[in-house]
Amino acid sequence: MNFLENLPIATMKWILGIVEAVCSWLCVKMGITLPEGFMPGLLNVVSILIVIVALLGVFLVMFALMSVLERKILGRMQNRYGPNRVGPWGLFQPVADGIKMLTKEDLVPRSADQIVHFLAPIAMVIPALMLPAILPYGRGMVPVELASGILYFFDLGAGTEVAVFMAGWSSNNKYSVMGAMRAIAQMISYELPLVMSAVIAALVAGTLSPNGIVMAQAGVSFGVVPNWFVFTPWGFAACILFYIGALAESNRSPFDLPEGESELVAGHLTEYSGFKYAIFFMAEYIGMFAINGLLVTLFLGGYQAPFPFLEWIPSWCWFFAKLAFLAFSMVWVRATMPRFRIDQMMQFAWKFMLPMSFVALISAAAWHYAGRGLAAWGISLIIIAVPYLLLGRFCFTRRHTADNRRYLFSE
Amino acid sequence: MHDLIQKLTALPWDQAPQWLFLIPAGLMLLAAAAAVALRNLIHSALCLTLSFIALGVLFIALGAEFVGFVQLLVYVGAVAMLIIFAILLTPASEVSASNNPFRSFKLSRAVNAVAGGAVVALVLAGLFTAIFFSPRARAAIPSPNAAAPVALIGENLLTHTLLPLQGTAILLTAALIGAALLAKEEKES
Repeated sequence: MNFLENLPIATMKWILGIVEAVCSWLCVKMGITLPEGFMPGLLNVVSILIVIVALLGVFLVMFALMSVLERKILGRMQNRYGPNRVGPWGLFQPVADGIKMLTKEDLVPRSADQIVHFLAPIAMVIPALMLPAILPYGRGMVPVELASGILYFFDLGAGTEVAVFMAGWSSNNKYSVMGAMRAIAQMISYELPLVMSAVIAALVAGTLSPNGIVMAQAGVSFGVVPNWFVFTPWGFAACILFYIGALAESNRSPFDLPEGESELVAGHLTEYSGFKYAIFFMAEYIGMFAINGLLVTLFLGGYQAPFPFLEWIPSWCWFFAKLAFLAFSMVWVRATMPRFRIDQMMQFAWKFMLPMSFVALISAAAWHYAGRGLAAWGISLIIIAVPYLLLGRFCFTRRHTADNRRYLFSE
Repeated sequence: MHDLIQKLTALPWDQAPQWLFLIPAGLMLLAAAAAVALRNLIHSALCLTLSFIALGVLFIALGAEFVGFVQLLVYVGAVAMLIIFAILLTPASEVSASNNPFRSFKLSRAVNAVAGGAVVALVLAGLFTAIFFSPRARAAIPSPNAAAPVALIGENLLTHTLLPLQGTAILLTAALIGAALLAKEEKES
């Protein structure tokens, strides 16, 4: 199955070959002599363009699919059909949505700050589209190899905060500003545990490069367990923390209170309509895919197969399978959990997530210095479990247990 | 057409990366100037953020990848948001001409411009002399190596500069606790 494994890279080389052949044929035909080193440079630029187009294509198609599949899955979980009118099984619903969004009137409030209101969706979507660039999609398939790729990822997350503020403030609407404030408070609060749990993976792998972190998770220990970080006590804790942080960063339910429609209309999106709204929507979903991709990279072994006998499936298929599972789980969580209240959300971030991420960091360090064996496993489990139980018992002491009740009529 | 393509391909394209750094540099200067010149405080803060971003990109373009990313993370993620929140949460303190505390020092525009220019020139002159006469400026520029600096910076932080690092950590923790204390609502006794 070497052919499938190399298919994306082979396709790119094939396109590059065509470009080179066409260019040299044109030069001969027009009698142009190219200077030394021009052709390799041109091909370099073309290969960058191919990677950009491929990434955009893949992520936009995933966004379109997700927008319909999410509604289908939500529908199934709530005992209804979901969209099923446009095309087979409602699969062309995104096309209909896109046409609807494009043809809608673009309303801008007269009292809005016109320039900032216009720039906010752009400032939102540029970081989101830049996020997927550093993820390792397969063996030798890293679009941009950065030595500190993890930092790059969180830098772009910081850019999103500014964009949300721009959207909320420029709308000149109290619901918008309140929604933006909530969104920024949520992002800043959950960014700390998110970054801390990413630091744990970087600490154990000894590198900030996503590909290096994937490489550090190769192989199998104890004969059966893959070396993925999620299968260690500290890695499991960090993975859960990162997952919750990812839910909060991408404004997914149960952390969707910045746009809590029952109280804030739509938060910072209140005054956006038509295609600008669609752009915010798209940025949110692409950000969700990218942060799930980072979760796969950091804790779920990236593009690696769980067992050696499954390695005939191409590495990039494994990456996207894990990504699809995580995206599905986020829909599942959305169908299951009710929305947080704002004080619950902040308390959870600062009193539980942040201390637990520090504990996981200490546990990972202990695991490393205890030799990464079975004993280390036990030590790190104790370091994780004891604070977890203590925090759970003493931090959230206000138990809401119902009193003993006698049902009078329902028996 | 033929001549145009011939001329275009003959341009010094291999030096393009060296010239590309002019884009973030120019953007940074423009945004910084706009941050000073704009009337609306929020617009100024957003322009300042843009200037921070351009500075980070400039670092990255010059090969200091780690410093650039940290600049973006700290300045765009934290400092810019801090400035914006500070502007939003403080009551609008428009200094009108009548209650301007510096009214008695009000001078003509020309004198103002000369004084401001002199201060800027003094600061810039100080910076330039500090940079040009430091021994590091004379040292050979090490070739940018993408992978090494992160590990090197980490090693240096935890060996040579461990004490200042710990001191900073204590200072920041104290500041955080102090901020929480100040922000905490006082219960009426």
